[in-house]
Amino acid sequence: MITKLSHASLFVSDQDKAYEFYVNTLGFKVKMDVTMENGFRWLTIAPPDQPDLEIPLLAPLMGGMYSDDETKAAFKVLLDKGALGAGVLYTPDCKATYEELKAKGVVFRCEPKEQFYGTEAIITDGVGNWFSMTQPKE
Amino acid sequence: MPIAPDVYKKIVTAKLYMDENFHESIDLDRLSREACLSRFHFHRLFTRIYRRTPHQYLTRKRIDQAREWLADKDLTVSEICNNVGFESIGSFSTLFKKENGVAPQSFRHQAWLQQQQAQSQPRSVIPHCFIDTYRLDP
Repeated sequence: MITKLSHASLFVSDQDKAYEFYVNTLGFKVKMDVTMENGFRWLTIAPPDQPDLEIPLLAPLMGGMYSDDETKAAFKVLLDKGALGAGVLYTPDCKATYEELKAKGVVFRCEPKEQFYGTEAIITDGVGNWFSMTQPKE
Repeated sequence: MPIAPDVYKKIVTAKLYMDENFHESIDLDRLSREACLSRFHFHRLFTRIYRRTPHQYLTRKRIDQAREWLADKDLTVSEICNNVGFESIGSFSTLFKKENGVAPQSFRHQAWLQQQQAQSQPRSVIPHCFIDTYRLDP
């Protein structure tokens, strides 16, 4: 019986930049940060209020992962375009979080707008992914 | 009643002030001055936006920082208690245990053990499906 999602991977173009965004800017917590002898870095994070959801930040363009050029090239196209839509980030107040993150230099594709499910902005992580940042309707 | 954009900016300013100065002694007067609002309005708006009172937010910020430093730095528990802004080691330890389930020293020991294992045996902390799928074994 499956009861929970324990890991959900994010592909990123650069793990150092991803660390800066998710940990230093968004406030995610580091769960594990260890590098294998072949250069593969196992970097996992968790949202501030979800310590049991572990998110590996995987860098297919960097050392230690895929060895074939075709796969790397495919990932490069998607990550360079910022084409990977990773999910929905919950915020208790979309407009406040938007103001704060804009002041910190985060790039948004869309400013907060009212939707039938709540207030939503579209945020980019700068390393290949975009998210909906949503304050659900009460 | 909706919150005006300039008011959001004021609340965010105070929140960022707490983020940068959590180690200092901060009271409601200081924060409301930072936000250029009355104490009552600042407290009410902050709590509405962030779903916790300024005091709760500040305490959480301090405990989070303490957790990082316990895992990462050679400071004593007392030094960390003072450096994150708590005045009493007793209240710090009680709050820390309430938030994390273990006392500060126990948390530090668990973190050290985890780091030792990760550094000496990185494969022991990476799910095998990732090692297998991304061909990380030599």
